[in-house]
Amino acid sequence: MESSATTALADLVRRAQKGDENAQRDIIVAYQHRVAGFVYAMTNRSDYVEDLSQQIFIKMVRAIDRLQAPAQFESWLFRLARNTCIDQLRRQKLRRIFLPFGEEHENIAEPPGAVGTEELDALRHALEQLRPQDRALLALVQEGRSHAEIAETLDTTVAAVKARLHRAREHLREHYQPDHEN
Amino acid sequence: MKTEDQAWRDLQSHAAAQLRTGFADRTLRAALGPKDVTWGLLRAQASRQLPLGFAERVLRLARAAAEVPSLTSQFALSAATAVVCLAAVVLVQDRRAQLSDERNLADWERIVLVAQDAQDFDSI
Repeated sequence: MESSATTALADLVRRAQKGDENAQRDIIVAYQHRVAGFVYAMTNRSDYVEDLSQQIFIKMVRAIDRLQAPAQFESWLFRLARNTCIDQLRRQKLRRIFLPFGEEHENIAEPPGAVGTEELDALRHALEQLRPQDRALLALVQEGRSHAEIAETLDTTVAAVKARLHRAREHLREHYQPDHEN
Repeated sequence: MKTEDQAWRDLQSHAAAQLRTGFADRTLRAALGPKDVTWGLLRAQASRQLPLGFAERVLRLARAAAEVPSLTSQFALSAATAVVCLAAVVLVQDRRAQLSDERNLADWERIVLVAQDAQDFDSI
């Protein structure tokens, strides 16, 4: 079942690579929610979700013809998403240095309770305490990526992924206190 | 004995009163970390930020972005324009210098002829 789904995805990717707009649209529709979730986990800002997801998919459409292994599309897409989010976080950090009192108030996260339940707030709070690289790692695991795929995405070894993942989970648990605002 | 039991019970209830409602749940959450359902809430929250017709808009923007020349081609065009302008300036300058030399040479020749005529006239 899984292999037929993989084959179908690879076919869809091949069609998208040839410039088939319907295939490109199908891919965006199929992945937009997962990419949005990934962006939210990485940035902790709901107002970034739409813009960054859009950037990620535009990059995808423009670069998909250069993807050599259509079967590895998902790893490739999430690597694109991770790099785009990390670039955005770097830009945000630089902007905070040069425009500390900028009108955007970019460093103000949404207050607890503004977006959802106590658990969701706690998860967002805990993610905020982690380094962006660790957030990416946890979000990739939530996306169902295997250790080998994550190692490929992050350009590292499986053993390093396991060790970093262990530490990231420890940190997440440490900060995952649903009543953190008290 | 009863007094001691009572004292223990008082101590326990005083200690228990320090724990806020939902202590067990919170402890479990802290020990186990976020459940998959919480990650699901995060994804759902993120998905709500995407407007209807998101895919169409991305495709439209990607097409528009493809029509804009790349930075490399823009740079190549600028460099080619600069080279052509430089070559034109050098050519014009060279031509003007050549014309000026020819004009000066003609003036000198005229002066020499006039001087020679004057010398011939004096010798006669």
